[in-house]
Amino acid sequence: MVRLTAASSQSLRPYLQAVRSSLTAALCLSNFASQTAERHNVPEVEARTSPEVLLTPLTIARNENERVLIEPSINSIRISIKIKQADEIEHILVHKFTRFLTQRAESFFILRRKPIKGYDISFLITNFHTEEMLKHKLVDFIIQFMEEVDKEISEMKLFLNARARFVAESFLTPFD
Amino acid sequence: MSIIQQHTAASLSDAWRTIDIDALQEDSSVNFDVSTLHPPLPEVSEAEVRQINAQVRQLLRGGDAEGALRGSLEMPVYNGSDLAKEAHLQTVIEVLQSIKASDMTPMLQRIYGTPGGSECLDVLMKYLFKGMASTTSSGGSAPRTPTRMTPQQTGFSQVGSRPGGSSESTGAAMSVLLSWHEKVVEVGGLGSIGRVMTDWRKV
Repeated sequence: MVRLTAASSQSLRPYLQAVRSSLTAALCLSNFASQTAERHNVPEVEARTSPEVLLTPLTIARNENERVLIEPSINSIRISIKIKQADEIEHILVHKFTRFLTQRAESFFILRRKPIKGYDISFLITNFHTEEMLKHKLVDFIIQFMEEVDKEISEMKLFLNARARFVAESFLTPFD
Repeated sequence: MSIIQQHTAASLSDAWRTIDIDALQEDSSVNFDVSTLHPPLPEVSEAEVRQINAQVRQLLRGGDAEGALRGSLEMPVYNGSDLAKEAHLQTVIEVLQSIKASDMTPMLQRIYGTPGGSECLDVLMKYLFKGMASTTSSGGSAPRTPTRMTPQQTGFSQVGSRPGGSSESTGAAMSVLLSWHEKVVEVGGLGSIGRVMTDWRKV
């Protein structure tokens, strides 16, 4: 276990570095009104009504269970993260954690209410976000989120195991 | 009576609601012809890809890793069957994996300095992203959550559901691509990623 985490923290840095540089390159957004509906301004990456303004999606993967999909377009980008889940407990914890966040999506601004298929959590950044927030801070936020979420999940798993052990012990004391 | 029956047959199902009627209009923006966004590209057949692969391998065996890398990047498969594209991706990855980590930066700098070098790095970046996308999609086709969701007898044992040895090997392949990615950004700058996104000549 110790050996595994040591090996993975070594490959975590280039992974996050690749995500950082790709995000920085992709966060180049401009205002673009919808071409299908007059007086509308929608994120093109969601509407998908004009194929010429959708750019090539980029996938960055660390292994088959951990990857990031960046879908750029002219006025918005969508970032989807697949969080590491080594076993069923982590799967449940990730599900609960992302559910907690997505239910409060209004106060997170860039969080998407529903992750896209195959991923655990999605963010949608439009040109209006980049106009009122600092671009490098947005990138920092995503990177920090990716760093924290792994730590958070493994911490929660340890807590859960400790609690389960305690519960089992106190449950079984009368039969001792 | 008969009118009602006609209705039930044709319109009571709500499948028609999902039809995108904008797409049926000829001048709709959905029908923009994206093939006008790139110059006409020569079609590359599988036989040609195999020929390049053989040449590249020969260069690799001769110890000329830089020549092999250049050779594989100067003939990207933009227009070809999926099989040909996949085969060329394997060629590029093979070259990348055979180059030592300490040789990466000097080799990229040499390639970048020569005429046409920055295009080579852009092509390399395209293949790096394609490599990361393709290995995950092939791995993702298998069900990620274990099919047996029964409670494990051992309680919190993590041995049973740990992913097998295959993910270890893809992890190693990914880390090669990730370190190449880092080095290409160092030499070619963020523009190389930007050109991967905006270029309609897709590998």
